Amino acid sequence: MSLVTHLSRFLILLSCIFLISCSKDPIREITVDPYDTTTKPAEYGKGVFVINEGNYNWGNASVTFVDYTTGIATQNIFTKENGRNLGDVAQSMKIINGKGYIVVNNSYIIEIVDIQTFKSIQTIKGFPSPRHIGVINSKKAYVSNLKKGISILNLVTNEITGTILIEGWTENLVLCDKFMFVTCIGEYREPSSKRHQWIAVLDTESDQVVDTLPCGKEPIGMVMDKNNKIWVLCSGGYDFYERPSLMRINPSNRAIEEVIPFQASQRVPGKLTINTAGDTLYFLNGGIFRMPIQSETIPANPWIPSNGRLLYGLSVHPVNRTVFVSDALDYVQNGVVYQYDPNGVLIRQFTVGRIPGSFCFTPLTQ
Amino acid sequence: MLKNKPFFIPLRYFLFIFLPLGWGFTAFTQNLSDTLKLPEFEVKSGYISGNQGFKREKFDSLLLLKHPEANLSDILSKNSLIFIKSYGNGSLASPSFRGTTAQHTQVEWNGINLNSPMLGQIDLSQIPVSQFDEIEILYGATGISRTSGAFGGVINLTTQPDWNKRLKIKLSQTIGSFDTYTTNLSVLAGNQSFQSQTKGEYSTSLNDFLYYNDYLKSNVRQQNASFLQAGLTQELFWKIKDHHLISGKFWYNFSDRNLPPTVTDYDLDHQEKQKEEALRAVLEYKYVDRKYNLMVKTCLVDEWMNYRLDSTIDNTHQYYSWINRVRFSWFGIKNLTIKPGIDFTRDWVRSDAYDGIKTRNTTSLFAEFNWNISHKLSSSLVIRQEVIDDKFLPIIPALGVEYQPVTNVDWKITFNAARNYRYPTLNDLYWSITGNPDLKPENNYSLEFGTLWNHRSKNGKFSVEPSLSGYYTWIYDMITWSPVEGSSLWKPENIDEVRARGIETGLDLHVEQWGILMDWTSRYAFTRSTYEKAGSEYDNKIGKQLIYVPVHNLNSALTLEKWRFFIQYNFSYISARYTGKDNLSMMPGYTLSDILAGKNFNYRDIVLSLQGEIDNLFNLDYQSVTNRPMPGINYRLTLKITFDKPSGK
Repeated sequence: MSLVTHLSRFLILLSCIFLISCSKDPIREITVDPYDTTTKPAEYGKGVFVINEGNYNWGNASVTFVDYTTGIATQNIFTKENGRNLGDVAQSMKIINGKGYIVVNNSYIIEIVDIQTFKSIQTIKGFPSPRHIGVINSKKAYVSNLKKGISILNLVTNEITGTILIEGWTENLVLCDKFMFVTCIGEYREPSSKRHQWIAVLDTESDQVVDTLPCGKEPIGMVMDKNNKIWVLCSGGYDFYERPSLMRINPSNRAIEEVIPFQASQRVPGKLTINTAGDTLYFLNGGIFRMPIQSETIPANPWIPSNGRLLYGLSVHPVNRTVFVSDALDYVQNGVVYQYDPNGVLIRQFTVGRIPGSFCFTPLTQ
Repeated sequence: MLKNKPFFIPLRYFLFIFLPLGWGFTAFTQNLSDTLKLPEFEVKSGYISGNQGFKREKFDSLLLLKHPEANLSDILSKNSLIFIKSYGNGSLASPSFRGTTAQHTQVEWNGINLNSPMLGQIDLSQIPVSQFDEIEILYGATGISRTSGAFGGVINLTTQPDWNKRLKIKLSQTIGSFDTYTTNLSVLAGNQSFQSQTKGEYSTSLNDFLYYNDYLKSNVRQQNASFLQAGLTQELFWKIKDHHLISGKFWYNFSDRNLPPTVTDYDLDHQEKQKEEALRAVLEYKYVDRKYNLMVKTCLVDEWMNYRLDSTIDNTHQYYSWINRVRFSWFGIKNLTIKPGIDFTRDWVRSDAYDGIKTRNTTSLFAEFNWNISHKLSSSLVIRQEVIDDKFLPIIPALGVEYQPVTNVDWKITFNAARNYRYPTLNDLYWSITGNPDLKPENNYSLEFGTLWNHRSKNGKFSVEPSLSGYYTWIYDMITWSPVEGSSLWKPENIDEVRARGIETGLDLHVEQWGILMDWTSRYAFTRSTYEKAGSEYDNKIGKQLIYVPVHNLNSALTLEKWRFFIQYNFSYISARYTGKDNLSMMPGYTLSDILAGKNFNYRDIVLSLQGEIDNLFNLDYQSVTNRPMPGINYRLTLKITFDKPSGK
């Protein structure tokens, strides 16, 4: 190539780029997924909202909608409907009074959306790093927080009306009569050895802590079964501090009826969930585990093995009992959701957003 | 645990003992007669020549003079092909060189490795350019002559004494947007056998620029982003009878900065700060003779870092490195130079993230052979063997060949091939709970081809230098921190495999016409760096570009000068950077323009310079890293007074 052509090519390239430089579009992260339909679905009817946490501090939390009838997964529906991103680390979503409440942990907000249109209705700010919502009645809910205390949420005005002071990280909320059982994990920045964990019992009328129950390290999951017994999954600590355990509590006399230890292993179980019938527990521990509530021991082998996947989110469909599990891969690419029938046979799989952590089934489900 | 502490802690305060010493010396040498004129004395640093067949590039030292307020990140992002991933003005800036990660670029200051032995990388925003004189870039395998593990390359920062200087005092003040103030003072004094250089910098910024927040849908001010940075360097050079050179260099750097929240963080109480203190000291002796050179060097590095988040995290990390280097060059055989050497480094780390104190001993045996086969063909071979904590690592060789096809035409064709490896960092090995002591070193093979033609007209008024190079590098057993299932922990493992290949071109043009000086330098890099191994069968990253590595990177600077007035236009283009390993999300590409103009006023030995700069000329609303805002159009004004009294006046 002669010098002249070399030079002139450089000049052409330069001037092209100079022209581009005059465009004024702000430079922001965009998705370039060729399989993502840019068109929005006609309606958010029968389906499931997959809540993708996104990377911590990247602000790329998103919601994927999977339509059961068409089988199409639509990515980023919040952004498509509202022209802005959801925020940083979307933790959970719940449908309350016909509206969707999305807890966005590291944006310190709860985003309320219309579940038919997914348009934002309101953003509630001021939570100290919110995690989950525990509904008391149609007017009142508690919100657990990573940093401090339980926020009291008025579901009519959607305002934070107060805080119940509990030191450290509060996680799961289960209502039994007028008492809310709350798992308290301890100071979230500390290693497991320095955390003090317990289960707090809150009177939802007086908003006071009325009792505390001991438990194992890191009570990370809590559900209620068909016999109105509360099951708590203690992971043993994110840093493998102690052997994990499953614990059964009788909420009426607040007695710990049973503690089932896990086999010692370098794993941290999590994502405790229960089917609608309330007779089978599901959790992740390197694979999907399924355990009837009568069982005295933790199953030795997973019901569905992970096979090299990094299983991250788990939910059981409330009606058809299919199991939804997500693979977060290496956290730096889009995850995959697998749907299994009640016999453990894979029905389908679909690509979702970054770090899919939880599911929210639409009311029109099935 | 505290047993070693009393010995190490006061280290960085030693500087203040040496400083007055330096002043005293200069005052003394000022009185010496300088009628005895020694011939121009250039000390070859043992291996500055050589490296035949390898690519290295030295920046024009005027570049640094024009930017007394800049840090290394600013300079490299505008003038080199190294992509700088910046989290914002004054925030973390990490390099990606030839499609590799930040840990594969090594930064050295006068032979001291500045990369932290803990992280294996360095924040380029914390290196003020006023503290050194020259930047040299060693591409790819060229770095093997310095160190192992720099698959991308080595950025070498050096200071050179000017033996003709008698007294030079420089004072500059920069005022910039967002309440940014930088003061620089340097005093160079000495004669032809002794030189002292003192450089100080003090810089503060409120850094509260306005940006558009997409979530709040309004313009807001950047919160919690202010910073303070101070640096002080003292260097002494002493030359005896043209054969011996003794030098001592001390560099103390302090930084205290608030780290801004991301744009989606609505927590109003956000408090995040980082404080750093670093002292680097080098004592060096060189012996220069016709047949051989000898260099002996001992260095101490003392770095302290404290990170705080809200009231919940308060972590302190501290490390010391003791670096020793011996180099010998022997020119005894015709056309052949043999340069053996030995390095010994001891790292000592005390960190809140480790269980106890961790140390590492690295011994490195090294030899370089430069052989001028004919007047057209020359070659160099580097062989390095490292022993880390009694473990012998594989031998790494690097072979380069340089061919000059036409006599009297400065046209070179180069080729090199090398093997390299990078040993895990101390964090990789010893991080509490997840540190992985079973990690293997990363492996790397590389090939490179290059050509460069330099044409200069006889009167020196026109010169042109086009260059082209292509490389292919393969990294396997790459260490990557990946999430541990069910836990919030991350663990390092030898899992990734990366293939990086690319083309780099450059064109430098210098023209003098009608008394106008024109310099135009342009660089362009095409970088394809891809993941080659899947973590699981569902992994979608094979053949995809590494995250935050742009495929195209171009920068160009045009300078015009007349009547001691100059105007410079800087232009850079960075193409899209993927933000997911599946390449399904990205930050779009962008171009930035800056303009710089200045005028010098001379009066006897005094030069007064006034300089203005506009950054981000077209006020582009951009983010380099997702969710981290960058400032729009911003301004700087620098006033500099230089008193220069060279010898012989």
